[in-house]
Formats: sequence, C-alpha cells, structure tokens
Amino acid sequence: MIRACRDLGMAAVAVYSDADRGALHVRLADEAYAIGPAAPRESYLAIDKLVAVATRAGCDSVHPGYGFLSENADFATAVRKAGLAFVGPPAEVQRLLGEKTRARHLAAEAGIPVVDGAADPLKGIDEARAVAARVGYPVMLKAAGGGGGKGMRSVRTAEELDAAWRVATGEAASAFGTPALFLERLIEGARHIEVQLIADDHGNIVWLGERDCSVQRRHQKLIEESPGPSVDDDLRARLGDAAVRIARKAGYRNAGTVEFLVNDEGQFFFLEVNTRLQVEHPVTELVTSLDLVALQFRVAAGERLPFAQDEVRRSGAAIELRITGEDARAGFVPASGSIALLRLPSGPGVRVDHALFEGMRVPTEYDPLLAKIVVWGTDRATAVARARGAVRETVIAGLPTSLSFHAYALADADFVAGRYDTGFVASHWPPAEPPDLEGTALTSAALVAVLASRGRSAHGTNGVATAWQRTAREDALR
Amino acid sequence: MRYEVRIADRVVRVDLDAAGRALVDGEAVPALIEEIVRGRQWHVGLAGSTHEITLLTREPMRLLVDGVEVDASAVDERALAASRGTRQHATGRHELRAPMPGLLRTVHVKEGDIVERDAPLFTLEAMKMENELRAPARARVTRLDAQAGAKVEGGALLAVLAEVE
Repeated sequence: MIRACRDLGMAAVAVYSDADRGALHVRLADEAYAIGPAAPRESYLAIDKLVAVATRAGCDSVHPGYGFLSENADFATAVRKAGLAFVGPPAEVQRLLGEKTRARHLAAEAGIPVVDGAADPLKGIDEARAVAARVGYPVMLKAAGGGGGKGMRSVRTAEELDAAWRVATGEAASAFGTPALFLERLIEGARHIEVQLIADDHGNIVWLGERDCSVQRRHQKLIEESPGPSVDDDLRARLGDAAVRIARKAGYRNAGTVEFLVNDEGQFFFLEVNTRLQVEHPVTELVTSLDLVALQFRVAAGERLPFAQDEVRRSGAAIELRITGEDARAGFVPASGSIALLRLPSGPGVRVDHALFEGMRVPTEYDPLLAKIVVWGTDRATAVARARGAVRETVIAGLPTSLSFHAYALADADFVAGRYDTGFVASHWPPAEPPDLEGTALTSAALVAVLASRGRSAHGTNGVATAWQRTAREDALR
Repeated sequence: MRYEVRIADRVVRVDLDAAGRALVDGEAVPALIEEIVRGRQWHVGLAGSTHEITLLTREPMRLLVDGVEVDASAVDERALAASRGTRQHATGRHELRAPMPGLLRTVHVKEGDIVERDAPLFTLEAMKMENELRAPARARVTRLDAQAGAKVEGGALLAVLAEVE
C-alpha cells in the first residue's frame, strides 16, 4: 500500500497495535498512529479508532488492506460517513456479497451454476442434518458471514456432523460475529480457481485473468498461480464472463475476486466473492504488468479504468508461495519465535513482499503469513524452476516455517506437471520418506550438528571450527 | 570427544581428536569449515563440494542443508551413556501440553475426572481456528494447570493424565 502511495505521489498514514510498534510498515509510512493493545478487537478491528485517526491525520482515503476490516460493510460506511473515500466496493455491495447465501442467490440469478446445498443460513443442527441428507455426504459446512477458511469444516459422514457443527459455529462466531452456517455438497477432486476483477464508478468492469489456488491446507492457500495450469482459453473466457456477470448484477466497484470450484470435467460452480484485494494479487500483477493497489486508489478517487477488456495483456506465468510461520512438518501448527537469520531471494523475475527483519519477534496474535515469494517466467516451466531456485536461496531461521513444504511441492512430479486439486496437501504431505542427505552433504551436516550443539554449551564453537579449519588446510596443502 | 549424530534418519559417528582432527564414521574428513554467522550458519568445503548449512531451530534441532530441511541432533557419548542409565519412564503418565500459543477457550474436564480415549479436554483457539485437544488414552486427570480464558504459550503444561484400565 505504501509503495503504491509513493508511486502516486500520495502520503501514507499507518496505524499499529502495541504488538506492531516496531513493524516495518510503521517505519516506512509518512505518519503512524498507535491504536491500542495487540488484541485485534481493541485495535485493528476498532472502527471508531481507525476513523478518528484517518480524520485527525487529514487522510483523503482509507485502504482496508486484506485482513481484519477489509470486508466489513460497517467500516466502509463509517469511513464514508466521515467524508473519506473507502478504497473498496460500496458498503451495500459488501453486505450483499458478504452474506454467502445471498451471494449464491445472486450468482444463480445471473445464470451461474452453484453447488447444491442450503439456500439460506441453517436454523440449527436439525436443518443441517436434513439438508446434508438431501444433497448427500460428504458435505462442507461454511460460515454464512465470511470466508478465508474460518468456520469451515468438511463432513464425511452423518456421525461427524455434530462435532463439526460445534467447532464451525464457534469459529464463525469469533471470526465474523455471527455463528450462522450453511452447507454445500463437497466436490472432491475440484480445483479452486478465481477470477480477478477491477471495476470503476462508470460502469466499466474488467477481468484480469484467473489464479489457481488449489494448494491449500485447512482451506487456506499456500501456493497460487496464473494462468491456471488446467485452464484452457475456452474455460478462461467462460470464467471471466461469469465473474463479470456476477459483478455487474451486484453493482460491483473497485478490486474484487470471484471464486469458483472447477471439477475435472471443466464444469465450474460459483463459490463466493471476496470484496477486497487478496493476498495473492501479486500473481496477477506479474502476468498483467499492472499495479492493482494503485488502480484501486485511482478508481476509488473516481477515475475511469485506463484500459478496456480487450486491452488487457497477459504474458508468461507467475507463482506465489505463501511463506508462513507455521511448522509445515508438524501439520502446519502456528509457531512462535524471532527471526534469527534472514536471506530472501532476488534475481530476474523474483519479487518478495514481506515486512521481516532480523531480530523481529513474529507476533502470534495475527495471521501467520511471513512473506510472499512471487516469481514470473516466460512460461510455467520457467516459473516453476525459478520458484525452486528462489526457495533454495531463502533462509528464515529462528522459527519453524512452511518452506519445507514449498520446497517439496516445487519438486513434486504432480505439481510440476500441473496435476493437482484441493486435495494436494492431504494426499502429498507429509511425504512418506523424509528428505535424505548423501555423501559430502551428510558429512558436512554431521560436523555442523556437532558445532551447533556445542554452541549451546559454554564452550563456544569457534575453538573447534578453527582447529578443524587448520587441520583441513594442512591436509589440503599436502 | 565422540558424538552420536542423527541427520534425518541417518546415524553418524563423529570423533574429534585432541589435535582438532575430525573423523566421521572412522574416516578423517579434510573439511574446510567457515562460520558465516556466529552460531547460525556455516559453510563446509569438502573435496570440491560446497555446502551451506544453517541452524534453523535449536529445540528441536533443525538444519537447512543446501535448501533441504532436516532434523538433527548431536549427543556426546558420555552424556548419552549417562542418560541411558538414568532414564525413567513412568508408563501411563501423559503430560498434555499446548501444541501452539493461543487462547484456551474451554476446559472440558476437572481434576479427578476419568476421560475416555479421544475425549475432548481443551478447546484452544489459535489464529482464530479452534483446535480440540483430546485424551491420548482412557485416563484420570491427576493435575489440571489451565483455566478457561487463559492465554497459553506453545508447550505450556495444561494437564497431567494417568492411564486407567
């Protein structure tokens, strides 16, 4: 956001909770204001505080980012009431599409297929049981009030429904303020494919290509790419057309994403609309050479989109790796710690979006996303190879991360061939055999393991290493 | 000094002699080791091969070896022998610890309860996801160290269970 502001000649005002006092965005912004304790409810979700800061700082517009209040219609309303531009769709559009069952109705009215399921939020577990029996197991329980994998549980049998219902209602209530759920038939072997849109206030809606986001765990994305390796020109055109039809019917403005499930026969079903910028937007930026955040600011200021649908040029392939502070090798449990050593990749076609620095304590209060490594190549094979190289170059020490998963996926034959669906993580991870080291790598690792373990004791590592070095040099000279 | 080193699934013996010579599985290794970042990252040159090794985490030890993440441990053999002699394993005793930092939403049991295997004991909210922590076996809750509403660190002891028939 700050980068886009600088490009547009605008000043950026940041806000921060106590947990983010030293965060990078705070230091890079032109002004920054403290808004309260680490708990989101008392800071990043406190609408009054945010609007007060924006007003006091003399802001013209408010960008809600892609977490917290970014899809909250009350926030958008409060911002507009204060006389500021909200960088996102109108509040009533957010409200309409934020209620997932109303969004489904809208899609169906626009002639877009939806997955068989509950037409409205379920009144209770009894209705859930009845609807599940009608559409047939397995089913997916979903929060009616929002997405992002929260309040979402797959249910394979009727016996599992009670427990899943209990957990999903609890999660939905704490994430979205309403425990309401609905359910849909679970489509297995499907791919999660979404279409990026941008719309102005003058009736222009343009789609900017698709992203395949099927590599997920707990319904949260780990790898996203564009173009989708399984999407041909015909399917792409149909998805783009469907997304624009839904957006037009909803009166959509600004950036948004329409999510679909696509089965292995190329049939697609509407899932939901994300009424905000998404984490994975850089993938689209790299293949279209557009700056989506800058476009968001421009259309929010009332400007016309500077291009028409037939002027959108896409080239090459882009892949994003979401590096999270989660222990991939222990079922992606959130980890805590500080960044002890950091080396991020660079080079042609490599972009890293992050706010890390050495010595930084990774806050456990918020989403575990650490960095986004996004690569571009002239074709998918080049992009995959480049992504593999970028991961090989990356060092994030001090806490467990998801990087071992990313390294694995990029070398996996199915991923490399583009053969994957939303079951990829479950069917491939953790790998049956742990990575193996051979020859000099094993020997070297063994020596370093000894040094590292001695480093913990009072002896220090230098003495040993120096002695080894001396011996090795002498040996080399012989 | 002799070490038993584990790297992923492999066990390697490393000997350090008084002259600072290193032997790996009995063979002298003419390695050139450069400590790049103190206590964190090393470069090892060995007969033309080049390896960058980073200590990712200490407990448990994980190394990044040329981009490959592996579990590792190095125990000096005297310590190993000592621990083998004194290891006590009270069977049937389970310490239930928080697998991650979070907010303890619900405590489903109280001290003295007998719970069935897989019965939910705690609901831990982390990153807005609710995780149910379940009983590893049919057991009695002999100690309860957690209260609903408490914020807990990863690894914090929540309860001690004793298996019952």
